[in-house]
Amino acid sequence: MTSFRVGVDIGGTFTDIVFLGDDGRILTKKVSSSVDDYARAIADGLGEVFREYKLNGAGVEEIRHGTTVASNAILEQKGAKTGLVTTKGFRDVLEIRDLRMPRLYDIAWEKPAPLVERYLRIAVNERVDAHGNVQVPLDPADAERAVDKLLAEGVEAIAVCLINSFANPAHEQAIKTIIRRRAPDLPCCISFETLPEIKEYERTSTTVINAYVTPIVASYLRSLRRQLDAAKITAPVLLMQSNGGLTTAEAAAERPMNIIESGPAGGVVGAQALAKRLGLARIITFDMGGTTAKAALVEHGEATRAGEYQVGGGIMAGSRLLTGAGYRLKVPAIDLAEVGAGGGSIVWIDAGGSMQVGPRSAGAHPGPLCYDLGGTEPTVTDASVVLGYINPDYLVGGALKLNARRSHAAFEEKIARALKLPLDHAAYGAVQIAASNMIRAIKAVSSERGRDPREFALFAFGGNGPLFAAMMAEALNMKHIVIPPAPGLFSSFGLLYADVEYHYSRTLRRLLRKCDLAEVNAAWDALANEARGQLARGGFTGVRARLKRSAALHYQGQTFELTVPAPDGRLDARAITVLEEAFGQEHERTYGHRAGPEEPVELVNIAVVGQGLAERSLVPDRIRLDRGAPATRPAPRKAYFGPALGWLETPVIARADLATPREGPCIVEEYDATCVVPPKARARLDVAGNIVIEL
Amino acid sequence: MSEIRDPIAFELFKNAIFSIADEMALTVFRTTYSGVLKDNMDYSTAFADADGKLVAQGLTLPGHLGSIPTALEAVMRHYGNDIRAGDVFIMNDPFDGGMHLPDIFVFKPIFDNGERLAFAATVCHHTDVGGRVAGSNASDSTEIYAEGLRIPPLKMYEEGKRNETLFAFIEKNVRLPVKVFGDLRAQLAACHIAEKQFKELVARHGAPTVKLYMQDVIDYAERVTRAALRELPDGTVSFEDWIDDDGVEYGKPIRLFVTITKKGDELTADWTGTSPQVKGAINNTLSYTKAAVYTAVRSVLPPGIPNNEGTFRAIKVHAPPGTIANLVLPAACAARGLTGFRMVDCCFGAMAMLVPDKVFAASDGGNTGISIGGYDANRTPFIYVDFTCGAWGGRPWADGLDGNSNIFANMASHSIEVTEAEQPLQILAYEFMADRAGPGKFRGGTPFRRDYRFLEGEGTLQVRSDRRAFRPYGLYGGEPGKPSNNVLNPDGESRQLPAKFTMAITRGDVLRHELAGPGGWGDPLARDPAAVLRDMRNELVSAQAARADYGVVVDTVAWRVDAAATAELRAKIRAARKNYQAPKVAWRDAPKLSTAAE
Repeated sequence: MTSFRVGVDIGGTFTDIVFLGDDGRILTKKVSSSVDDYARAIADGLGEVFREYKLNGAGVEEIRHGTTVASNAILEQKGAKTGLVTTKGFRDVLEIRDLRMPRLYDIAWEKPAPLVERYLRIAVNERVDAHGNVQVPLDPADAERAVDKLLAEGVEAIAVCLINSFANPAHEQAIKTIIRRRAPDLPCCISFETLPEIKEYERTSTTVINAYVTPIVASYLRSLRRQLDAAKITAPVLLMQSNGGLTTAEAAAERPMNIIESGPAGGVVGAQALAKRLGLARIITFDMGGTTAKAALVEHGEATRAGEYQVGGGIMAGSRLLTGAGYRLKVPAIDLAEVGAGGGSIVWIDAGGSMQVGPRSAGAHPGPLCYDLGGTEPTVTDASVVLGYINPDYLVGGALKLNARRSHAAFEEKIARALKLPLDHAAYGAVQIAASNMIRAIKAVSSERGRDPREFALFAFGGNGPLFAAMMAEALNMKHIVIPPAPGLFSSFGLLYADVEYHYSRTLRRLLRKCDLAEVNAAWDALANEARGQLARGGFTGVRARLKRSAALHYQGQTFELTVPAPDGRLDARAITVLEEAFGQEHERTYGHRAGPEEPVELVNIAVVGQGLAERSLVPDRIRLDRGAPATRPAPRKAYFGPALGWLETPVIARADLATPREGPCIVEEYDATCVVPPKARARLDVAGNIVIEL
Repeated sequence: MSEIRDPIAFELFKNAIFSIADEMALTVFRTTYSGVLKDNMDYSTAFADADGKLVAQGLTLPGHLGSIPTALEAVMRHYGNDIRAGDVFIMNDPFDGGMHLPDIFVFKPIFDNGERLAFAATVCHHTDVGGRVAGSNASDSTEIYAEGLRIPPLKMYEEGKRNETLFAFIEKNVRLPVKVFGDLRAQLAACHIAEKQFKELVARHGAPTVKLYMQDVIDYAERVTRAALRELPDGTVSFEDWIDDDGVEYGKPIRLFVTITKKGDELTADWTGTSPQVKGAINNTLSYTKAAVYTAVRSVLPPGIPNNEGTFRAIKVHAPPGTIANLVLPAACAARGLTGFRMVDCCFGAMAMLVPDKVFAASDGGNTGISIGGYDANRTPFIYVDFTCGAWGGRPWADGLDGNSNIFANMASHSIEVTEAEQPLQILAYEFMADRAGPGKFRGGTPFRRDYRFLEGEGTLQVRSDRRAFRPYGLYGGEPGKPSNNVLNPDGESRQLPAKFTMAITRGDVLRHELAGPGGWGDPLARDPAAVLRDMRNELVSAQAARADYGVVVDTVAWRVDAAATAELRAKIRAARKNYQAPKVAWRDAPKLSTAAE
């Protein structure tokens, strides 16, 4: 019997399920998410696939899962009632944050409310200095009073973060012992265990986030397990982490801060694996849905990671400079840039007579006008309907009838007439402006990081990614586009490519050339042991447990670090030189310059990544989609390609038709997405079933 | 004002040109050495046309809005036709286009086929530019010559060749040349990135189109600004506010006075009536005064107006030379930030008379500057510069924000732990203070205090704060906030210090700085008792203040508002007010509340 590995990705509207058989067969399912209990939709969806394909739980080998449960809890402020114990004098670190706001000239700006209200933040009298020396010893009675007060308030979790605890955790550990004694089952996170790194606000915020979502994530995972068991699915559940690696359900329940951006990571990991297979050294992923567009950069098989990010901050801020829109979380994550632009983005005319797209979105409800669900303003999807890109009668897959007339009428009335432009020209402008907004996401991960997008292939997925891919690539002078199979479900498909991965780090502020090698080696070994232990618990030992070391460095005086891989083996004088040179090169590459050898380099943090490698290649080279071409071949239609080319007769084809390479224009309609190949572009299918477009 | 030629192509160009300005800003942010620059975001990047007219400014420091055209004008004045490809200009002289000496401008002209098309522009606040006090921020210098190195518009690179004389000169006259040069490199890197991306735009559209579109972007901003101004009522309003003193002539208040006239689609701010320039280093250049006006007015207009010359065409600013709003030689100006913040508040006050429902009460007064410098045992210099602020005035629809940067400067605070790791300092406290915000239907934000302990043998402490004698005003029934304060060794001798001072300190000394409380908005008796309860529970308002200021009685066992007692107390306070009419602008506590509630 075929055995399947299953990828499940929960989004706000849909839960996407992909079954991958060891024979290369792929089965897909899209079901509505069950917001009251996300686990139910998963169990129901799996059941539907079982019935449709006559399978059962025994055929499922493993479930890999991306979820927004944790990030939703934060964004909707529905996490646990959490208490915070902190150092006297620093009760408000969490709320004062770093003062910065994401908006300028906006006196209506509201800060996100702190996840722990002030009355649940309790200061204890203790102090450790920057070098870890105890200046004021912790008074146990004072600490007990603080813990008891929080327990009396009925908190469901406690976070502990004391000043300079990264240098000496003794006081935090003592408080943890008190909490354990007083309330053995209460989730309790101390900052030295969640993030033993310098910078009190980042560490406090991260520790609080971890505590805040622990009860929610744990109960969600329990509910999921229960429902899977009830459906006789005994396969283990692995969770996608924000860093693109998988973790066991047990480890995720313990450190849920690692799965906050679980949702969008799957697609990037899948893209990373496919690119490696295709021999593409550099790709930029572009994931566009109904409300947001996200970009990430993959170089030499590795997605770029960010050391920290803001939960909920991505789409609220206009620029990466303006931070403060969300909740600071300092855990490694795939470096995703996100803009609030998607199919639902509203097209409008501003007071200066200029066309704008977004940031307001019609979302999924009421959605674009053509959905006929009560929308009143034209959207990007309506523009795509006017231009003939999207099938005017139904959304592909046939589930949703479209009303193209409404799109035409609204665009004519509200946009074209106001701009004194022909309807087609106006609609074309709307999609181009949408593309130019989304380009900011791509620039954020490429040119703003010293990378030239022209040297990268564009890897496009998400429900709207294939529709916009060529337009984005053209605007950025990118020549090469890849669209994977099942692009609309690629976030769950991508989960199937991921490896198990754990990250550990700590602060060791030392001048690189003067550091005590024995000390640094010992610290690195401690992290490596932690990683090895965690991998072994998941069954990864020997060659299947791979450790990678890295170091975050800066020139002394800089406040921002760059992370570079560290040489393997013991750190010696030669390795120090290698590390320093690697840092210099990375500095040059990222910023366009490096300092001379006279400027001292400081080692700030060290890190170890432990990867658990699968025994065999996870995804076969050749895969077969269960949902192929539609039964009846759609008729060709006219599509508009700008004022110069105008309306062109455009064939509508299935993915398989590209086995014979052809020149655009053409439109590829699939179950879950529509791909536009513009005139003159050449499109073909590669061996893995990807659509490849050359501009 | 032209109509937009091709609205689509125009919008795409506008996106591209603003994205260049933002990318420049990101480049500076990532490459910089100094904490002031990065954490205070005390820098700006912009793009100007061939004549120096501002086309796009990145979103960093509102206080720099409008400074770049003035600086570029000076470059043009000096160099006229002698501006060539490969040139890079540098300057900081406040009397010749600059703002104050730490703000160093770097400009790079961009050419295409021999024709100058644009300027890439950056201005960054540097850690130190020499002068008598480390950090070059002293508020008590009395002439520009004490404040540091004055750089007229000069070529830092001449047709690609580095001006070694200039660099050598700078190196010998600043305390931390490695940081200064590191930040100049960051500015250069930003200009290079702008040049590269601008040339791509030229390659795509052709130079003539790019030139046209730059003008269109300016015209567009003008149209949007004027359209927004048209929506405001016409009228002429004035507002007066006072700075405590200049830190040299103690106790001599300094008058700020602005008259705003809004007519049709134009607005004029006239600072006639403002104090003559003062001895202390808080005198503004006209460009900085303009930035203050633009910031206040923009914050009242709808969001999304681009930052450029077009906006400035609709908002006129006048300030007589020789006043604190428009300095002339030999005025000192290093600490003029204070005046800028307060001018923003003054403009807001005037706007509040014009559009009461759109403007907040006075914020904490803007940032306090604290510099601690000296030499360690090995004669290595250290400089710690901290600018801190963080509470907004009550708003007509919501409380003022607490723990949030001032609207005029989007700063971030330094990490306490990094400060302790790098500086001979320990921070003993950084937290909110109860009962300091101005009460109101919507109260002012909660101010915080910071305690610094000095760990080196000896050093110099310099503080520039304000809002001690003249407190942040409340609006429309809201009350003023509590004054700021500085205390030396609060747990020992507990010596009161003035708002502005420079003094020697020794190992173990502790400075406590307390921010002023922002003003409240609206009658405190109209505040939702549940909000008072929440503040009490969070220990931001004491039980006593809840009764006296808000007439709210809370059961602190069950944490419930005692509705009956509250109604009774509020009725009593109202009766005690008799015919008292709260002023539109409150500088002092209302007399009635405290007595009635005792």
